[in-house]
Amino acid sequence: MPSDSNSPSSNYSSDEGNPNSDPNSESQPEPDPQLEPEPESEVEAEPNKNPHLIDQSLDALENQLASISMSSRSPTATIEGEEEEELEEDVESREQPKSINGSLSEEIGAGGDADYVEGRHFESDSKAESSGVNGEKNTSFMWLDAPEVDEVERPLSPGSSGYAGEMGSTSGGDEIVDDDEDDSNIRVVENDGVSGSNNQSVSGKRHADEDDASVSWRKRKKHFIILSHSGKPIYSRYGDEYKLAGFSATLQAIISFVENGGDRVNLVRAGKHQVVFLVKGPIYLVCISCTEEPYESLKGQLELLYGQMILILTKSVNRCFEKNPKFDMTSLLGGTDAVFSSLIHSLSWNPATFLHAYSCLPLAYATRQAAASILQDVAGSGVLFALLMCKHKVISLVSAQKASLHPDDILLLSNFIMSSESFRTSESFSPICLPRYNPMAFLYAYVHYFDTDTYVVLLTTSSDAFYHLKDCRIRIEIVLSNSNVLSEVQRSLVDGGMHIKDLLVEPTSRAGAFSSHLGQPRPGAGSPGRTADGSIGIGGPAGLWHFVYRSIYLDQYVSSEISLSLCRLYRAYQRLYASMHKKPIGPHKTQFRRDENYVLLCWVTQDFELYAAFDPLADKALAIKVCNRVCQWVKDVENEIFLLGASPFSW
Amino acid sequence: MSDTAHNHLNAKLVLLGDMGTGKSSLVIRFVKGQFLEFQESTIGAAFFSQTVSVNSATVKFEIWDTAGQERYHSLAPMYYRGAAAAIIVYDITSSDSFAKAKKWVQELQKQGNPNMVMALAGNKCDLEDKRNVTAEEAHAYADENGLFFLETSAKTAVNVNDTFYEIAKKLPRAQPTQNPAGMLLVDRPADGSRAASCCG
Repeated sequence: MPSDSNSPSSNYSSDEGNPNSDPNSESQPEPDPQLEPEPESEVEAEPNKNPHLIDQSLDALENQLASISMSSRSPTATIEGEEEEELEEDVESREQPKSINGSLSEEIGAGGDADYVEGRHFESDSKAESSGVNGEKNTSFMWLDAPEVDEVERPLSPGSSGYAGEMGSTSGGDEIVDDDEDDSNIRVVENDGVSGSNNQSVSGKRHADEDDASVSWRKRKKHFIILSHSGKPIYSRYGDEYKLAGFSATLQAIISFVENGGDRVNLVRAGKHQVVFLVKGPIYLVCISCTEEPYESLKGQLELLYGQMILILTKSVNRCFEKNPKFDMTSLLGGTDAVFSSLIHSLSWNPATFLHAYSCLPLAYATRQAAASILQDVAGSGVLFALLMCKHKVISLVSAQKASLHPDDILLLSNFIMSSESFRTSESFSPICLPRYNPMAFLYAYVHYFDTDTYVVLLTTSSDAFYHLKDCRIRIEIVLSNSNVLSEVQRSLVDGGMHIKDLLVEPTSRAGAFSSHLGQPRPGAGSPGRTADGSIGIGGPAGLWHFVYRSIYLDQYVSSEISLSLCRLYRAYQRLYASMHKKPIGPHKTQFRRDENYVLLCWVTQDFELYAAFDPLADKALAIKVCNRVCQWVKDVENEIFLLGASPFSW
Repeated sequence: MSDTAHNHLNAKLVLLGDMGTGKSSLVIRFVKGQFLEFQESTIGAAFFSQTVSVNSATVKFEIWDTAGQERYHSLAPMYYRGAAAAIIVYDITSSDSFAKAKKWVQELQKQGNPNMVMALAGNKCDLEDKRNVTAEEAHAYADENGLFFLETSAKTAVNVNDTFYEIAKKLPRAQPTQNPAGMLLVDRPADGSRAASCCG
């Protein structure tokens, strides 16, 4: 579990001058930056704020509202992320860099190896079962075969009130259930973002018979609850909203108790559980989680959940509460359970949910251009945004002048469309709000599927534009089929994106190789990497398992294909991302950490962020070398994996 | 609006009714001849077209299958404005949905096209043992309000096509003479922020 506080964070000093330097950004990155051992690195010492930990389980929390005031230390009482890392992770991956010229590499590598032996540190009250967990975790390759195995088996804190145990369950939290795990065990993720929808059977509310008195409800690892400021439940991931009225009133009481003190509650820790609160006017969002995700990540997830709600209703729903504070919003969200459960599910596999970037379907430059030009054509005629998507990935998108589409909106929009079966039946014309574009107003979305995966979305401000948009769609369809875009899309779905096994060990001349797929020869039918699912053999050079590359100015990311669910690796990236984005960062920053599961390497520059996962025994110098080559590879094929020249997205 | 050309008529038809009454199922039965046991909720409105021939004329229905959810209620005018016909659907097993249907009828009488052909469809008539709305009651209401009434079942296809054919037969007589453009959904200003709030 990465933690910024204990990690080496190094500032690069650029060799070149600062041609464009402004007072705030220190140095211009080199045009073609190479990740090298740093000249100097410095440790960011985290002030050891000792939080007033509310170490009690949810039941106690319900009963002891008063104790919440303990958490309100300062005007915005936050018991925040840094602290929780302090609590959870004082053992793991402590890598003290020795700030000696030029070697991030060996020093840290050694430190990391030592840490490798030690398991994750759990909070003390779970000692009973935690030995078993460590046993699991020490099998370092386990994540490939059984993703999330540690999370599934991790004991829930027996806790003072016996949160799980008191209901008569003998084995405490040993059977914590969570749909994320259910799904990740079933699903083989072939094309990370690209798969998802078809084998995704998250539709409608599951476990609607549960309420807060059910053992099963209490054992859920991650709850999302939306409620109104009067304490009325609006949405709950598990259980029936109406049955949860009492529980939701309790949450409301916690929030307003702190608010009455002129304060705000952001996070409450109760044993292994984190309760994260997000207040959006009259709407309160709460996440109760024992997944050990950082506070920032959980808060970001609540923001997305809120955004999804705004996409369906617009922010003007607040007016209903002005008219009637006791307004019951549940009915307004009727029929959207599938939208929320699909979003919540994507929080455990889709990197776009925390990277705030979108990803493109890999396509030959000319193919994408063909799609772009017809979209551009229709965008001139009253269409605000035109998107051609394949599942969660963008084929091309175009926006009218001055309008820009935020990656989060793309995520929420595609989630909404893909999780609503109704869009597949015929053409649809629906009001949709883009929260980052204008949270107050509906746009009108014309949605049409060309095949099971590929669909076009045309957004307009005009509610009578249906027939015009229908005509636009017909024109688009003709161009797409004449230029074979749709068949290329299908081919790309089969081929997938960047396979790490294709990363050449030694950079050879790729000139002239561009007829092939992403600069690499197209994998043959019996390609070994494809069949070796689940084994370490799928790794690339130097034990590279996976990488995610996010281009900052394009707001896009690309991630290598992975053969099995990247759920657990995903959480590691998520923590890494949170730790790298906690504070203002310099022009360059790196993090290298090694634990029993993998080596994680993160490299942030002004242009891009690279997250890479390696075999835990990977050699550090080699890993760095491979990362440089990944960056080069991405650059070599950037016009196939990214949507370029889409200037409207710089904001 | 509907407009004729060479015995060919384009007619906009809208389906209204509470959520879960089976509007989408009726349309899909009519257009595709299919029935899904678990039809997902419609989002916004789905557009279908289907051509039928009656009395040597062809009628091309442009069908708006609207979502029954409350949040879309305020947006319904966008779909029913200018419609030549409407099918108001209720579920014979739910008296709430019948009450909702009556509200839709009132709204259309007040705001819809005055010449609109209106049909009242009591759907799910295969669920006789769970019936909560009697055919007599609905018939009486339909007669009072000048609607024509049929009990339908998208599942067993009972009266589904008949409803649409019946509308097609009535259309030419109800055809308005003004507004030949026929395709405008609404004449509302395209002021998104004001016109389009979910509960405005």
